[in-house]
Amino acid sequence: MYADTSTLPEMRPSIPAKLPVAAIILWFGALIASSAPWIGQLDAGALASAFWTFDPENYSSVLAHYSWAPRVSIAILIGCGLGLAGAVTQQILGNPLASPTTLGVEAGGQFGITVATLFAPGLLAFSPDLAAIGGGLLAIGMVIALTWRLGFSPVTVILAGLVITFFLGALNMAFLLLKGEWLGNLFIWGAGSLVQNNWGPFMELWPRVLILAVLMLLLLRPLQLLQLGQSSANSLGARVGLIRALALFLVVLMTATVVSRVGVVAFVGLAAPVLARLLGARTIGDKLLWSTLMGGGLLLLADTLAHWASTWGDGSLVPTGTTTALIGGPVILLALQSFRNTHHMPGQESGPAGFQPRRRSPVLVTGIISALLLATVVVSMGWAPGLEGWNWTALTQWDHAWVWRGPRLLAAMLAGVALGLAGTLIQRMTGNPMGSPEMLGISGGAALVMVLIVLSGAEVGRAGQLGAATLGAAGALGLLIVLARKHRFAGNQLLLGGLALYVFMDAGLRLVMASGGTVASQLLNWMYGSTWLISEGEAFGLLGFTVLVSGLLLLVVRPLSILPLGDTAASSLGLSVARARLLLLFLAAVLTASATVVIGPLSFVGLIAPHLARVLGQQTVGRQMIVAALVGGLLLAVADYLSRIVVFPGQLPAGLLAALVGGIYFLWGLSRHGRQ
Amino acid sequence: MYIKYPARTCAALLFLGLLSLQAAAGTWHHENGTITLDSTPKRIVALNWAATEALLLLGVTPVGVADRDGYSVWVKEPELPDKVANIGTRVAPSLEAIAELEPDLIVTSSEMAPASGLLERIAPTYVISVYKEGHRPFEKASEMLTTLGEMLGREDRAEGILADIEQTLDTQRQRLEEAGMTDRPVALVNFLDDRHVRIYAPNSLYQSTLDALGLENAWPRQGNFWGFSVVGLEAIAPYQNSRIAVVSPTLPGLSDTLADSPFWTYLPAVRRDEVYQIDAVWPFGGVFPVKRLATMLTDSLLEGGSDNVR
Repeated sequence: MYADTSTLPEMRPSIPAKLPVAAIILWFGALIASSAPWIGQLDAGALASAFWTFDPENYSSVLAHYSWAPRVSIAILIGCGLGLAGAVTQQILGNPLASPTTLGVEAGGQFGITVATLFAPGLLAFSPDLAAIGGGLLAIGMVIALTWRLGFSPVTVILAGLVITFFLGALNMAFLLLKGEWLGNLFIWGAGSLVQNNWGPFMELWPRVLILAVLMLLLLRPLQLLQLGQSSANSLGARVGLIRALALFLVVLMTATVVSRVGVVAFVGLAAPVLARLLGARTIGDKLLWSTLMGGGLLLLADTLAHWASTWGDGSLVPTGTTTALIGGPVILLALQSFRNTHHMPGQESGPAGFQPRRRSPVLVTGIISALLLATVVVSMGWAPGLEGWNWTALTQWDHAWVWRGPRLLAAMLAGVALGLAGTLIQRMTGNPMGSPEMLGISGGAALVMVLIVLSGAEVGRAGQLGAATLGAAGALGLLIVLARKHRFAGNQLLLGGLALYVFMDAGLRLVMASGGTVASQLLNWMYGSTWLISEGEAFGLLGFTVLVSGLLLLVVRPLSILPLGDTAASSLGLSVARARLLLLFLAAVLTASATVVIGPLSFVGLIAPHLARVLGQQTVGRQMIVAALVGGLLLAVADYLSRIVVFPGQLPAGLLAALVGGIYFLWGLSRHGRQ
Repeated sequence: MYIKYPARTCAALLFLGLLSLQAAAGTWHHENGTITLDSTPKRIVALNWAATEALLLLGVTPVGVADRDGYSVWVKEPELPDKVANIGTRVAPSLEAIAELEPDLIVTSSEMAPASGLLERIAPTYVISVYKEGHRPFEKASEMLTTLGEMLGREDRAEGILADIEQTLDTQRQRLEEAGMTDRPVALVNFLDDRHVRIYAPNSLYQSTLDALGLENAWPRQGNFWGFSVVGLEAIAPYQNSRIAVVSPTLPGLSDTLADSPFWTYLPAVRRDEVYQIDAVWPFGGVFPVKRLATMLTDSLLEGGSDNVR
């Protein structure tokens, strides 16, 4: 009878039982799965002893000691490191989408390794960590420089981090496309492989990971203060900016160190803290501890799955980056189901501080951008390099040049217009500065289908590409509608769902990248927009379509102005909130799909153009939409021209250049606001 | 006028008839339809390196090739003259540059399928894919060489090249058989870094060399359509009976890293000193690399192996 007292609730808050249970299941499942292939070759004792010894006469034992055991150890080590880094990142930014991936650290590390491979192979042989850390610090340095004056406000940091990710990612891709044959190993590194054949990397890594983890834990108390909110923390004497910067620095070191050995294993740092929180970790200590453990278990499981998949198929390597992405996707979807409280979502803490630029005359701004657009068209049609050197094509001879220069220019411009419009729609609809077709996953859906086509080896003509991409975009849209219906199309849930779709696309892309250089460069070419394939018919078709949809958009200006006021206010003004959101979603998706087949899914014009419109002082919906469309068109027109001329007779994908050009403008705009 | 017209038609017909006496004119079926040539093409553009190689073997210098500089680094033989124009990368060539060269024949593969309409606007396009799902690379490369020989009026030369390759393969096979070197399988690999290799599969171009030399490929699985699989180094461990042929280039510092790795030094092939490193051979070429690999592999096997890459 007295035993019953032990079941009485304790007074101090305790972690729910499901947390340790889930962690134990995850770890045991992963360990058993990882050992399974060794059944029949080594007994359990011999396998366990593979972690410290081996039998030179038995090659299975050598293999277990030098291949399997270090791989398991490094998976757990790296997983724990990334899980901890992710939890710290989410804590300092108060944002469940924050992770080393989202802050640009991984893109930075990859950029560092690429540059080192091309220009300093000696450095790479000496220490890959240095190159990766250099790149990671460059990325986070840019993020910090951009957001310094805004006091590292969470939204701005994430926003800057994303743009840096796109920017460095695009630079990286440019190298891969131009020098693909020379960078065969980077395709694997980018895909993330945990294959080991020595204890060396693990022995080098564990002390660093341990030291960094201890340093992070020393920040525990200051981080706890941050949980109280910025102003309370300030009043308690915590130096908020300094703590954040220090913590970010440690996150960079951890991520770059960890990842320089095995490549980009994205999303572990995002998924582990999300999982820990979902399972009930509430206090900061709990979050850090369980996120670390979850990270280790998750990565071991992901790596085991990758290893199994490698041996089941035709034997070719399935990179671990693929399976982490496949596991990361569902975890984010899980998060989508449970984060009903959108309190900590990005974009909810007002617009980023200082993001109200001076209003400017719409006529003047529109006029200037139109003039620039016209100038771009003239230069693009007329002034071009040939095999014998540069020459002008007179207006009278444009009909000869038209077939090579015209359709692609027209199509690029229209894709920019479509993305500018779609981006404005989505940012207005979600009230979220991170919203864009790219983030919504519609581009990702289209790209996923293209990746599958490349993987299957089927060859499709241009019409097939168009059809497949549209199908993919529609599929992604359908999925989003189903997911979002539960939340009445509320903005931030949509973004999370879109991110999950993007994660799946990423998985396929990694698989292709690891499978071989030439296939990969072909795919990357499309992903970043190969405007050179556009025919006249397609360009004119796109023109008609864009005009049609733009007409439809006139109908939605009113709902768009009302929606951000909040659901209640919008309903009381006589708006059917759910139906208006559905229509907006549909228009945004159609615009995105048509642009994606031309320019690929990764141009980020849809993110950048609406921002530039605001930077240029256009605040009301209609004006922002018009200026964003023009800016988008200008961006891609310039990008298409540059893609044709900068490495003539080679070509760069136009979308990639758009990401570069747009990224620079955007960063400039952001930093300017910091100063004001 | 009314009377002259048939006369001109007659003349034209006669002219065409004369042309058709030449070997070149004719119609050929290819992967994307048919191609009709009225006269021997003089200005040819090759959009991949297998086609470039075939043209050079036939003694025809193309006016433009894709990724010219890369060809000189990776393929090397047969040598490409400097004056040839570069028309861009192999995945995204510049259509404008191709058009500027005013070619009368374009040779490409089905990888360029999305651009086929635009290419046809410039010149008749011959589409043949040496590397594609279900194709045997050496057979397709031989077909490309023979067909180009017909189009260019150089059938004899094409036949001569193929006969020479066959003879070289026979000679090398005899050398290996006399030395008793054909009994155990060979794994053909390229090191990508110290942990990963490209391993050449039974559907690769290299397989033709192995078959002709009477050697067994250690790797039993199909690769991607280029004929290779990217695998972790541990994937070759189970094939304990096999020898390892490493195709150059290898990254600087690789031999040191491998020497430090007991996993590598305990590999049965390494313990038996059966690692053979051969010079670079382009694995995605036409017929020529088959011959080059046969000679180099035979030389290397006869010379004896070592316990590490160079």
